[in-house]
Amino acid sequence: MKTTSGFLYSVVVLAMILVVSSFLTEGRCAEPTWRVEFDETCAHTTDAMSLAPAELEVLIAKCEHLQKIIEQLDESTSKVFLKRVLMCKNLYQYVLDDKKKSPENSAQ
Amino acid sequence: MKKIFFGMCLLLIVVSVGWAGGMKKKKLPPYDYGSVSINNYSQQSGMAPVLFDHWLHRQYATCRLCHVDIGFGMTAGSTKIRAVDNMKGYFCGTCHNGKLNTVYMKKIFESCAKESGREEYKRCTRCHVLERSSIREEEFERFAEKMPKERLGNGIDWEKAEAAGLIKPADKLEGVSIIKPKLKVQQDFSLKSKVDGMPDIIFSHKKHTVWSGCELCHPEIFVGIRKGATKYSMVDLFEGRYCGVCHDKVAFPQTDCSRCHSKPPQEK
Repeated sequence: MKTTSGFLYSVVVLAMILVVSSFLTEGRCAEPTWRVEFDETCAHTTDAMSLAPAELEVLIAKCEHLQKIIEQLDESTSKVFLKRVLMCKNLYQYVLDDKKKSPENSAQ
Repeated sequence: MKKIFFGMCLLLIVVSVGWAGGMKKKKLPPYDYGSVSINNYSQQSGMAPVLFDHWLHRQYATCRLCHVDIGFGMTAGSTKIRAVDNMKGYFCGTCHNGKLNTVYMKKIFESCAKESGREEYKRCTRCHVLERSSIREEEFERFAEKMPKERLGNGIDWEKAEAAGLIKPADKLEGVSIIKPKLKVQQDFSLKSKVDGMPDIIFSHKKHTVWSGCELCHPEIFVGIRKGATKYSMVDLFEGRYCGVCHDKVAFPQTDCSRCHSKPPQEK
């Protein structure tokens, strides 16, 4: 009897954990791949100055790739995210140009 | 005869200077400072233009949140917002969606409507207005009364208001903003004044990055990273470039010289 109630208790707890975790991850999983990629790519505008030129070049390439995907989206989404991705790409490019001009910064 | 000729010449010079340099801008009343009229598609759709008040919104959000994360342009009409964009949850519709906003802890009215009933029309006219109503002016007066005073602009010292905790502008919105590493505190720096006797400029990089982030100013407004790399004069600023993109329009006006030219002469 004790074993059965213990088993039931574990099942209920496990089910609750699953429900809670599905709620927590729902927002992230529901996001399209391009959006996840956008968030990751443009997350470095605050620390761009500390990135190496090679890292900045990778981020710029990712922005250009995203730009092509975003251009295919509906007009409203494309209008917002094209502006956002261009802003972050331009910032990376701007920091990269400066690092190339003054090599002491690119050592970071 | 000579006097008339001289008078005519003087009048011609005054008129030419006024014409070439732009006539002196009319000083706006405090409640109108920073207001923007948006009319890309409104009149085509039989609606009045949108009258957007910066004073009403900047108490809730940083410049960065709206102009970077939400994507509003820096000049009136440049974003070309359509009702359908708002209804999809972009631009105004990011916050004005009738849902509980977790940052402001209140429901904010929906920005645009698919239907055209009486109730919807009432909602439309909250933003699409032909003339400024006295209700909005009174609302401004009530708000400004509690804020630290400033001589120019809309008469509010926003910096002091935030420091005193009277306003708490949000810098992030869930589902809109990206989670980023904390921005390293930027050092304030001084810029040499070009006019003798005018104190040097103390530029608060810290304050500007907190409100605007990096990508709002660089590289679109300021192209050079190094101090002194971007060359500009007060004429450029008064023509709405560089600092003039925000100052004179929404941020405190550039005629308030001592707000920027603030380095005491003895420290030079």
